[in-house]
Amino acid sequence: MSRAVEVFWLPLVFLAVTLLGGVRIADRLVFLRPPLSALVLAVLLLAALVRCGAFAPQRLMNPARSALQNLSGVTVLATMFAATVQAFNSVIPESGLPRLIIVVFLFVLLLNTLAASTDRTHVLRSTAVILGSMFVLKYIVLAALSDPTGGWLKRVLLAALEGVTLGTLAQEPFGLGTGYVAFLTLALFLGGLAILPRRDSGSRRALVDAGPGALREAQ
Amino acid sequence: MRDDVVRAIGLAVAGSCFGAIVWVYSRQPQTLAEASGALSATIGVYRIDEQAFADGLRFFRADQFAAARLAFDRADQAHQDPRTQFYIAYSYYREGWGRVYVDKELYARGLAAVDRAIAAAPRGRIVVDDADLQMHSGDELKAELETGVQASTEVNPLTVVRRHRK
Repeated sequence: MSRAVEVFWLPLVFLAVTLLGGVRIADRLVFLRPPLSALVLAVLLLAALVRCGAFAPQRLMNPARSALQNLSGVTVLATMFAATVQAFNSVIPESGLPRLIIVVFLFVLLLNTLAASTDRTHVLRSTAVILGSMFVLKYIVLAALSDPTGGWLKRVLLAALEGVTLGTLAQEPFGLGTGYVAFLTLALFLGGLAILPRRDSGSRRALVDAGPGALREAQ
Repeated sequence: MRDDVVRAIGLAVAGSCFGAIVWVYSRQPQTLAEASGALSATIGVYRIDEQAFADGLRFFRADQFAAARLAFDRADQAHQDPRTQFYIAYSYYREGWGRVYVDKELYARGLAAVDRAIAAAPRGRIVVDDADLQMHSGDELKAELETGVQASTEVNPLTVVRRHRK
């Protein structure tokens, strides 16, 4: 990872996510603070990313680096955590039953990811799927149900959800721009995750590829 | 460029951006004017349009409350001046007060304005020295507005005997 990426690009990308993650456009602009559950979910995702090697904090902070270099590393870590919190803030519904269900669902899903995380590609792909599906659920499905003017999707969903009281599902309707801002936020966040410094497993993999004979020779 | 210098610049940029984000989330500015006004108020250089304020005061004293609020809004576009916000709240109070009813919607707007005034005032204390007013502090005005908003009904003949704090 180049110095420019570590010092400028990663912190700025994550700070942009931090700024945009809470933006809601209604009759006025609202900067929504993250719920506590978003912090818990962010810790779980961060742990999963470290465990699978998609993010290697030891490459950003270690005794061989100078104090200023380690401080740069801390900045990347801090901004990444803030961005993760805000990414969850942007996809978690604001109120009601959907919020409770989705927080519990995300919690279980992330615990599962943490337990089963094997390699970087799978965890990054899983993160993209989790956030992408939550985006669709909140900004397309729930937004359609909460739309006071109605629409074809609302009629289809109402037919499918026959018997469910809409009061438990409906959210405060936001302007169309909110969805676009959230999409940009998630795209930036996933882009940021992809360029994080990853764990260098070259030496271990070379030893495994060489087979047990190489291990015996080494001993 | 030297590594230390580049990293120091990066840290300063990231720190400033993070501070700005925290500030935006705590102050919730709605427009660019509010953002710049709140920022200048934070560093103590915010000034209102005195001419517009004088116009607003003239309308207020002539009981032209809607016109007064337009002028006050023009004077304090960033909603950062406690005195102007106090007068805006007072105009909602006077307009919303009827002999046998109170207009809860106007009172609620007044409450929002007095909350802005209190938030913008140093240590939350606002006192307006105006002989034409019966209430001089933000706390008195807020209490009156809250009483009106929390009343069980807008129409209450008993308010006939209640004193209007003009």
